[in-house]
This record gives sequence, structure tokens and C-alpha cells, in this order.
Amino acid sequence: MQDASSILMRVTGLEKHYGAVRAVDGISFSVPRASVFTILGPNGAGKTTTLEILEGIREPDRGEIEVFGAKLRRVTRAVKERMGVLLQDANFEPYLRVKEVIALFASFFRRAVSVDEILTRVALQDKAKAMVRTLSGGQRQRLAVAVALINDPELVFLDEPTTGLDPQARRNMWSIVAGLKERGKTIILTTHYMEEAEALSDHICIMDLGKIIAEGSPRQLAAGLGRETIVEFVADHLDPGDVDNLKTFGQGARTDGEVVTLQTNDLVGTMEGLLAWSRERGIPLANMAVRQPNLEDVFLALTGRRLRE
Amino acid sequence: MKGILWVARVQLVTALRERETLFWFVIFPVFILALLASVVGSIGKEGEMNFDLTLVNLAKPSSASVDFAAIVERAFEETGKPPAPGKQPLFTLHRPAPGEDSQAFLVREEKALRIGRRAVVVVLPEGFNEGILGRAGGAAAGPSGSTGGRVLVYYTKGSDASEIAASIVEQVLAGVDQRILAESGRFQTAASVPTETRWVGVGATEIAYVDFLLPGVILMGFFLSGLFGVPGSVLFARDRKILQRYWVTPLEVRQYLAGFSLGHLGLCVCQFFLLLVIGRYAFGAKVLFAELVPVLFLVLSAVTFLAFGFFIAAVVRTANAGMALANLLNMPMLFLSGLFFPVRGLPLVLKAIVYANPMSYLVEGLRTSLGVGAREFPLEVTFGVPLLWIAVCTVVASRRLQWDVGR
Repeated sequence: MQDASSILMRVTGLEKHYGAVRAVDGISFSVPRASVFTILGPNGAGKTTTLEILEGIREPDRGEIEVFGAKLRRVTRAVKERMGVLLQDANFEPYLRVKEVIALFASFFRRAVSVDEILTRVALQDKAKAMVRTLSGGQRQRLAVAVALINDPELVFLDEPTTGLDPQARRNMWSIVAGLKERGKTIILTTHYMEEAEALSDHICIMDLGKIIAEGSPRQLAAGLGRETIVEFVADHLDPGDVDNLKTFGQGARTDGEVVTLQTNDLVGTMEGLLAWSRERGIPLANMAVRQPNLEDVFLALTGRRLRE
Repeated sequence: MKGILWVARVQLVTALRERETLFWFVIFPVFILALLASVVGSIGKEGEMNFDLTLVNLAKPSSASVDFAAIVERAFEETGKPPAPGKQPLFTLHRPAPGEDSQAFLVREEKALRIGRRAVVVVLPEGFNEGILGRAGGAAAGPSGSTGGRVLVYYTKGSDASEIAASIVEQVLAGVDQRILAESGRFQTAASVPTETRWVGVGATEIAYVDFLLPGVILMGFFLSGLFGVPGSVLFARDRKILQRYWVTPLEVRQYLAGFSLGHLGLCVCQFFLLLVIGRYAFGAKVLFAELVPVLFLVLSAVTFLAFGFFIAAVVRTANAGMALANLLNMPMLFLSGLFFPVRGLPLVLKAIVYANPMSYLVEGLRTSLGVGAREFPLEVTFGVPLLWIAVCTVVASRRLQWDVGR
């Protein structure tokens, strides 16, 4: 249990309905200061709606938000002065120059970082005079980060910050997030990439169908499965009898097309059994991998579905 | 305040940088001004006007000593001469060929008038001489419905050229009255007060077409940027979630609105000065906007069309639908307002649109305040109706305009 001063934001019983759809269904969580708090879930889980309520874009139907020590029904102007938001879409007026966009957003805050400083921080100083419409996807995303950080916020919301980015741009974004954390900022991140959540998060909250189905650190969540090792391999032409046999070598045997996944606490015993079964049935164990459980496995275990389904 | 000024600056700068916006809101009005001023603008300038006038004399020579119809014919012949060597005559006079049947010629010329090949047809009817004689002697002009003593002037309603030609014919005929009196011996020329006929477009009292046109084109520029620019900008920014990015900052909707409106009015100021400079220096417009009332009308016009733009943004769901609605309103509001041609002779249904159209009042208010138009509505009405529209649009926009993408 964390003490109250270490909590920057506390959300209690948050609800948001769109007609009959319960986009956010009574969720509660606490965000520790100077941490990366990630809301993970598949598309439609309610992550963005939750974030939009916390950012002040939408009003909740029910629930309470406590942030910077004040209890609020909806986010106020004073709170907005202390927070920065990176929205999912990195759209700006196409006929503005990069430095004009930053100066525009700087003008909305009482206190703002200088345009040159923020451009340097997101490595866009060479593009200061470029029109927004001439920027690449990665450059636009960095501009969006610059806008989100222009007021040197204490609380930063990052909504799906790497969706649609190439691997290099994604790595750049990860290093920006790591840099923010180093500078003591509190970050609330949504993503449907488990590897992103694992790489960046101190605390993860897994959402599905508007509810929080699990939360904790990445290690705590994986440990919560109670199984230490995952064995995966590719096997062709399995019949239902084979799948039943495989279940004797480990817990939670599952096939996804030709990919077989087993969870085990007895790796040696499982491997011996599998090799014997392979020799006997004449089925090769192609692309065999042994790994630790990840968030995908957690989500799978909790919902019976994969994150990207 | 800083945020409001920046939003205004962004609004203005993006409008001026975007080629399509620049074309429709600035270049297009200039093009219309250039086109109409060059094509129609020559009407009203001495020596440059050249409309086609048909004169048909059906009157038989009078048994009296004076042939009044011949006096009228001479007046038109003289007026139709070039004012100076090398200059164009005021009009080209068309008359029946020698020996040609006048009635058949008249039928043909009336057809030419209908299809725009003649600006005006002047007919001296049968019994003209007798009628004049009777009038001069103080007798009744003739039986009721008789055209005796009257010149018949046929022109096309709704055609600027034809209406201007008809008014010039009236001025010629006003001069003819004096001639008739003088040549019939009933008027002492030496004792008369000297008068001078001035054509529309001559000397100090000139109201050149470009002076009539320029205020209208300026309003057209305001109209286009309001009707298309406002919903285009707002809905584009909303649909692409550019506005959403504003709403996660301390900027409030009312501050955004203030900045947006300020930027829009800045664009209107740019349009105004550009058109004014081009109108004055390229087309010789002399109209001045130096008094308070025309300036108030300019501001009222810009605000009215701004409100209309927000109205459109409020009643549609997407930017595309906004452009479609703006297109739908564009033609009737622009062409049923008296902006380019008179709307006096329109059928009742169209007249109803004219009366409901705020542009009609703004055009008239601006032109009359500049001394280049005739007043049909009282000044309070020309201010009041657009103000009413602003109120209606503001109420609708404040209740219905969605500032964020719906879910």
C-alpha cells in the first residue's frame, strides 16, 4: 500500500456509457508519482475513453478523479496548466510552420518552455521552419510530443504513442518516455502493444470491455500466472488426439493455427515428454522456443483471447 | 489574451497560405471585379458606351406646321454621333432601311431586344404628332389608353445594360421636350434657364459601374470566406481532431471563438484593402469608404457571414456536408440580393428570397451609404435584418455546434 503523498492521481468508480455500450464500467485505480502507469488492452477495451475523461475531453457519467490533491468531477483549467497530452492522432494545421505550432500551444499556458528548447528536446530544430504538411509521420509525432511537453507538465498522458510508427520512430518514442520518467514526470500511457507496456511501465492496468481485469507491475502480473516457463513450437497436421496428449506435458496446452503453446513449472519433464512424443509420432518440433510468460500470456489466461484479436 | 491573438494569427496565416483559400477568397473576387468592370464597366463612361438602340417612327407627318416625330429622330441622331473624332458614339442607332416596312422592322427589333442584341427599342407611335400638338395646346392627349404623344421605350428588365440604356433614353427625351417647345414657337430659348444634360458617368457626378460594382464584390469576398471558410476551417479542424488538441490545454471554447473570429475579420480586412486598391488603381473606382456608416456596414457584413458560417458548421455533421450546404446557399444568396443585377422585376417567389436574404440589405445599405445605389429599405431595416440573422445564427450555433468529434 502506497502512502497518499506518493499518489498523483486517484480514480474512483469511473463510468462512461455511450447508449447501451458501457465504454468504461466503474473502474478505480491510483497512479503513483514519477512513474509510468500503463493502461493496456485490446481495441475497444475503453482505454482511450478513460484517458479522454482524465484529460478533460469528456465528462464521466459517474465517478471521481483526485489529481494534484484536489477531488474533481471533471478536469479543470488549473489541472490542464499542469498536464500535457499526446493524442492518438498527430494532426495539426497543415499550413503552419513547426515553430508556429509550438508557439501557438505555448500561448495557451501561463508557463511554457521556450520554442527552441522544446525543439531541441524532440530533435526537430532542423525542421523549425518546415510546414507541418511536409513532415513525416515520425516527425509529426515528435511535434505532437513537443506540444504535449511545452508547459513542462508534471503529468503526461500518452495515448497510443507509437501506433503507426516505424520501428525506429517507435524506439525514439520509447527513449523520450524513458527521459520523461528520469526527469520525475508522471506518465499515463495507453497501448495495445504488450512489448511496449513491458518495456516502459512501472505499473500496468489491463482493461477489457470497460473493466480492469488485472493490475500490477509487469513482473507481478506475469508471476500471477503461477507458471514460470512457456514452451512454444510449430507442429503440422495435429489431430485432436495429439492436442490431448500434449496437455499431459504441461498446463494450459493451446494451439493457435500451427503454433502450440504450453505452460509448465517442470521444464525438464515437459521437454523430455515432448521429444519422446515427437519421435514416436514423427512430428518435428519446429521453431521451438522456451521463454518467460509475458503480458500476452496474462491477457490470454484472463480472457481466453489474444490482445490483438 | 495571448492565446486568443495566436488563434487569430493562425486563422489568418493559414487562410493566406492555403492556395485554394487564397484563390476563392481573394483572387476570385478580384477576378469577378476585373471581369465585370471590363465587360460591363464601359457602360456609363462618356465616349465608351456603345449600346444598340433601335428607333422606329410610325407617326405620320402632321398636317400641322411642326413634325414633332422628326424632332425626336434628330435628337437621337445627334446624340448618337461620336462625341469627338476617334471616340465611340454613345449608342449605335438602328433604323429601318429606306423603303422597309416599319411594322415588320419593329417586330424583328423586338425579337433582337429579347435575345439581348438590342439594349433598347424606341417607338414613336402613330398619332404621336397629333398627341404632342394636343398636349401643347392644353388639350387632352387623347382617349384613355391611346399612345398619342407618348414615346414608347422597350427595354429588358433585369439587364443592367438595358436599364441603363433606357434611363439614357429618358434623358434624351427630356431634352426633346425643350426642343419641341422651342421649334413650335411656344418656348423662348433666350429667356430660358440654361441647362446641361449630364449622362450617367460624366464629369463630377459620375457613378461609374466599377463604383457600383466594387462594394458588391467586397461583400462577395466577405460572403465567400464566411459561408465556405468558416465551416470549412471549423469542421476540418474538428474532424481531424485538431480542435481536440486545443481542448486538452487551458484554452477555452469562448477564447478559441474570439481568436477565430478575430482572425476571420482580419482576413476580411485583407480582402477589403486588396479589392479597394485594385478597384481604385486598376479600374479607376472613386468610391470612398471614409465615413462611419459604410464602415459599419462592412463590419456588419463580415460578422453576418461569419455567423452564417458558424450556423452551417452547427447544422451539419462533417466538413463535406458543410461545403454542400454552403454551395446550396451560395447561388440564391449571391444572385438574389442585387449584388450583380437589379432584383426589382423578379417573380414573387424569388422576391421572397430576396427579402429574406441578409445580403440584399447589406448590399443596399453599403451602396446607398456610399452614394452609389438607390434606397429601397429604410436604414434601420438594412441594419436590423442582418442583426436579426446574426442573432438567429448565434443561437443555433451555440446550441448545436459540436466542438469535438462525436462517438
